[in-house]
Amino acid sequence: MKAAKVKKEKFRKRDLMGWLVMLPTLILFAFFVWEPLIENIRLSFCTTKMYEVTGFAGLKNYIAVVNDVDFMAAFKNTFAYTFWSLIIGFLVPIIMGILISETVRGKSLFRVGVYFPNIMPSLATIWIWSYFFLPGETGVLNIILGWFGIEPQVWLNNPKWTIPLIIITLTWKSAGSTALIYMANISGISPDLYEAATIDGASIMQRIRHITIPSITGIAKTMLIMQIISVFQILYEPMIFKNGGPNNASISLMMLMYRYGYRDYNVAKASALSVIVSLILIVLSGIYMKATAKRNDE
Amino acid sequence: MKKKLISLLLCTVMAAAMLTGCGDETTSNSSSSANDTSSEASAESSVETDESTEEADSTEEAVTITLGIWPEDTLTEDIAVHEGYVATMAELHPNVTCVPAYYKYSTDTFMPMVESGNCPTIFESWFTEPQKLISQGAIADITDELEARGWLDAMNPSIRELLSDDNGRVYGIPRDGYALGLMLNVELFEEAGLVDEDGYPLYPKTWDELAETAKTIKEKTGFAGLCLLAKDNSGGWHFSNIAWCFGATLCTENADGTFTANLASDEAIAAMEYVKSLKWEYDVLTADPLNEDWGSGFTQLGTGGAAMYIGANDAVQQPTQVNGLALDKFAMCPIPEGPGGQYSLYGGTPYFFSKDATSAEINAALDYLEIMGKAPVATEAAVAGMKADAENKVAQGVPVLQRFPCWIAQDVLDAEAAVVEEYGNVDPKMFESYFEATASDGNLRLEEPGETQDMYAELTKVLQEVIINENADVAALMQQANDNYQAILDDKYPAE
Repeated sequence: MKAAKVKKEKFRKRDLMGWLVMLPTLILFAFFVWEPLIENIRLSFCTTKMYEVTGFAGLKNYIAVVNDVDFMAAFKNTFAYTFWSLIIGFLVPIIMGILISETVRGKSLFRVGVYFPNIMPSLATIWIWSYFFLPGETGVLNIILGWFGIEPQVWLNNPKWTIPLIIITLTWKSAGSTALIYMANISGISPDLYEAATIDGASIMQRIRHITIPSITGIAKTMLIMQIISVFQILYEPMIFKNGGPNNASISLMMLMYRYGYRDYNVAKASALSVIVSLILIVLSGIYMKATAKRNDE
Repeated sequence: MKKKLISLLLCTVMAAAMLTGCGDETTSNSSSSANDTSSEASAESSVETDESTEEADSTEEAVTITLGIWPEDTLTEDIAVHEGYVATMAELHPNVTCVPAYYKYSTDTFMPMVESGNCPTIFESWFTEPQKLISQGAIADITDELEARGWLDAMNPSIRELLSDDNGRVYGIPRDGYALGLMLNVELFEEAGLVDEDGYPLYPKTWDELAETAKTIKEKTGFAGLCLLAKDNSGGWHFSNIAWCFGATLCTENADGTFTANLASDEAIAAMEYVKSLKWEYDVLTADPLNEDWGSGFTQLGTGGAAMYIGANDAVQQPTQVNGLALDKFAMCPIPEGPGGQYSLYGGTPYFFSKDATSAEINAALDYLEIMGKAPVATEAAVAGMKADAENKVAQGVPVLQRFPCWIAQDVLDAEAAVVEEYGNVDPKMFESYFEATASDGNLRLEEPGETQDMYAELTKVLQEVIINENADVAALMQQANDNYQAILDDKYPAE
């Protein structure tokens, strides 16, 4: 009994040290993350002048957001971005990661190669891609198509292509960094497993299927939800490529929020929309957690 | 126990954070109430300054103003001109310290800057902004200061209305006015053989002529005849001028304070059909109008990518100084006439003042404007300021042109005309038709009332659709835009 008490007291002292160490971080977090977060929720229920609250608005801001003439287009597009990013962008870094890990010669060259687009400034890449996608005979892609006698295309100006094409540029830019995470994960797999499999006569495909893929499933799941969260908040790519056009074909929820906040100076409405976005993300993450938890139980 | 401790600590931290938030508010409240008192006191102090403006009184309290109108770092010659203004300022108003604080107004930086108390005492903005900034309480009421100086009645009445709130209080003054016209790249006109025997461009006088002219240019030179904007709201902005010429009025204010959108009228639809024909019938636009905005339009014009572009006299440095078009290859003509007449959209660049500025600071900033020659006074210093500005323009290869009368003080207009005469660096014939048309009665038209930026956004969406879709149903699209815009108007200005 006495011994237990002593143990507990010791724990407290140690705890105190731990908390003291953490305190600066906690304060910074509270100041830069939690406080703005709570403030944002508060603002969304208020009327504002600049950032100052002038009164209580109830759900008015939320109703104004949902009734906005551009809201439905932005809402649908944002899901379209997420959908296309999973179709186009999810498997690319996994394949890249596996291929580069299996490569014996020139591994670093490829590693640098896939990561290279990532170190370029985002705006610069969008500008470069804009020249590729230029409609008419002066666009780079159209010049290339011209060599094969194919008619010039309008690329981003075709509303059906706008989102998938933006996602392709996004994947081109960011797949490398995700591939690095997969590569790190793959290099953590014990070489014994591969050796044993090779001795047993397993082919490359079999090794990938039975050793590599099961080992990276865990990280792949995390990357999936992270990708959904980040693509759902897509902002500057559609803004710079086509400013949300043509005719709202690429406008996203975050773009709409940016317009409320920085074009109209309507902070309350922008806050309401950002709360809506985070609610959608919480629900999506919840569904995902539940779905994967079931699998884990099985 | 551990959990309890964590939650306790978290709560404390959160509470502390909230408290800091509240603390901010109280301080800002107190500062705004301090402002109130200062503006109450302003009546007296402005009378005082009024009496003492003539003789520079060194016993006046020291005032520091931050100048958001300072040129950006790279424009060293412009900075030298401003340093000259500061020297004059030090002579005439030794109590005032001027601090350069270059600020180019943009909607995404403005609010955080004001909120953090870093707004320059004086800065330039756009004519689309005053109502928004006034309703947000982001700029200073300068009615009393202007009244004491007698500037209120010198302001062009329609511009004064734009810069006032519902109670007639004035929040800004105009730097200069502009009117949209058609800018021409004379080089492309020459190449296409569209010049008269004296070498002046044969500019289009109607919209039909514009389409034909543009077609000739495209056929003869391979470059676009016209640069049309369809990337952002500037597309809708230009289009509203085209629509007026087709006889459309896009929005009307009703007696009860509500607004009626009128985007689906036959005239507006005809104007949009015309724009559509520029792409699908005449094919005279740049490669991707959906990628063209205000700035890229000047690049197209200045670098010979397009022969014509809708632009205004306050932006003549864009094709020339910025994009390298030779001064003798640059001309301006009026916006072409349409079936509904000929109009030029009229606006300007306003100066605004920080909401935190005291009356003395505002007065000091107004003094600075006087020295720059941008105020409705033709004092010696003001004329010197105008001359310094013109001299700098000549050195930079920017056309020296007359301003639009945003002030109606005759002596200022005369002084300005004399300076333009003295420093003129362009052939006036290249701009004659433009200034003639804009001087004619009823030609200048202010932007549509209502939520103009939202209207531009809706119109830009239609522009994008008619440019990418040959089979676009213009009437249906304009009806949709009209419905959307009406919904926005009804939401903002509900019927009582």
